[in-house]
Amino acid sequence: MTDHQQTGQGADATGHRADATGRPKVRYLLLHAYGRGGTIRTVMNQANSLVQAGWQVELVSALRRRDDLQFPLDPRVRVSTVVDLRESAHSPGRGVAGRWRDRRRGRLTERPARHIPPGEFGYRYFNRYVEQRLIAYLSSLRDGILVTTRPALNFLAAEHATGGVVRVAQEHMNHGTHKRDVQRRIRETYARFDAVAVLTERDREEYGQLLPGTRVVRIPNAVHSLDQVPSDQRSRIAVAAGRLFPQKGFDLLIPAWARLVDAYPDWQLRIYGSGEKKAELRALIEEHHLYNHVLLMGHTDRLDDELAKAAFYVLSSRFEGLPMVMIEAMSHSLPVVAFDCPTGPSDVLTHGVDGLLVPPEDPDALAESMAKLMGDRALRADMGVAAVLTAASYGPDAVHPRWEALFSELASPEQRHRIADAAKGHHA
Amino acid sequence: MNRHEHVNRHERVKPHAEIAEVWPRDGRVRLVGRIHGRPAEGDWRLLLTRRGRTDRPLDYPAQVKGDRFEGELPLADLVTPDPAEIEEWDIHLTDGEARLRAGRQLDDIHGKKKIMVFPEQRVRGLRVRPYYTVKDNLSLECRTGATS
Repeated sequence: MTDHQQTGQGADATGHRADATGRPKVRYLLLHAYGRGGTIRTVMNQANSLVQAGWQVELVSALRRRDDLQFPLDPRVRVSTVVDLRESAHSPGRGVAGRWRDRRRGRLTERPARHIPPGEFGYRYFNRYVEQRLIAYLSSLRDGILVTTRPALNFLAAEHATGGVVRVAQEHMNHGTHKRDVQRRIRETYARFDAVAVLTERDREEYGQLLPGTRVVRIPNAVHSLDQVPSDQRSRIAVAAGRLFPQKGFDLLIPAWARLVDAYPDWQLRIYGSGEKKAELRALIEEHHLYNHVLLMGHTDRLDDELAKAAFYVLSSRFEGLPMVMIEAMSHSLPVVAFDCPTGPSDVLTHGVDGLLVPPEDPDALAESMAKLMGDRALRADMGVAAVLTAASYGPDAVHPRWEALFSELASPEQRHRIADAAKGHHA
Repeated sequence: MNRHEHVNRHERVKPHAEIAEVWPRDGRVRLVGRIHGRPAEGDWRLLLTRRGRTDRPLDYPAQVKGDRFEGELPLADLVTPDPAEIEEWDIHLTDGEARLRAGRQLDDIHGKKKIMVFPEQRVRGLRVRPYYTVKDNLSLECRTGATS
């Protein structure tokens, strides 16, 4: 049995032909297409838009731990897996050769990855076996466009996807957030990409300086829809959302809310999301006696409905790439109170117009800005209108044509010639 | 849901004691809420009944102003001579005639049992925690023994 399996219709996974329109096939390589993170959601939005515009698109999942995709995906997008980790996927090898392969797989699985620096946040998902399977896959690609979506996959593609495929590296996190070893590998390898795509203006500048001569483009992620029910900002509900872990700063938001309870006792803070810090956050709520006012709502499949009921959105993150749920909230006409953390909030928000930017990791300042919105419904309404306008530039119709333009340009004959030369060892 | 539907839904909900705040502190549970669907005149008391046993109800005065009520449950009274490992006490508000179940029926939050969670207090070896039932009614759970 081969590990590289496909679902959906279409040709082989390494399908070498451009389609009838002359457009190259686009492959997205994700660490886990079956997961629930922001990168996965964003890539699926991109894939849906491209396939609707007539492109041939495949999602390649490096790993597979689940049976089902967690976000809506157009059935015309093919999905394939490099290493299937589901229990059901592994049948013991038959015969001497089969048993030998199993033993070898077991040995390699226990060895650490060689090409991925330990500082990569996804390091724990890699080992020698996964690495070797990915390298084999990447080396097999001959044409089309390959989009890799996190540093570990970018590093492997930079070194091994050298068979003629056009390569685009996506960065979904801001540069300053990466550990030193990851930053070093970025400097060493990213110049080999045909384009490096980042989410914010600040990152475009930073990567531009790090990688002179490499094409660095800023294309923000798109919200899934702009056709949203607007809030009337009249409720007394503030909403925050994200995985319950330190990056999201809910441990700063809860004490900030404690400063507001006496002045605004009829307001409620609803935090959506699940995660490993739930018990700690619950303890913090109890410590501040906020159990009537701050609610850990858990995961919801209907965040749109919940946003439409809120009066404002609050982002308490320590860092971000580009906070998409914040932009989704704005598409519901919600003003935002956000820490001015790296990166994203200051790219999106204009302080005093569609939201309030707050000095990062400062709960007092966060409380002060929230109080400003809680005490002024007219201000919420004005900022809500401005927020919808801001969100419009992150709609699928505004963003996805930029991917199409980039891919078309990279796949043009002149570009392909340059890439072919580079693959043969010439310098363009 | 628009405002009109909202009003209709409120009218359909049967009379009960709608809980606004629950304060488990200092060996007591203080409750604040509104009487829904029934005139609020008269003397009201908070009533605690042990589930499955109606022999020894406890009751405490409630202060009512307009339709707003407020009252306290002293947890020491829940210590019984024959405690089971887990005992549950249901909370009502009564004026002697009507018995209104305490609960939170009028908001938009589904699954309060896991979302509106309150801290536990210890009273003479008993661990007491207010909680919303799957039907969004408010009850007290008492556990003997060590921390779970």
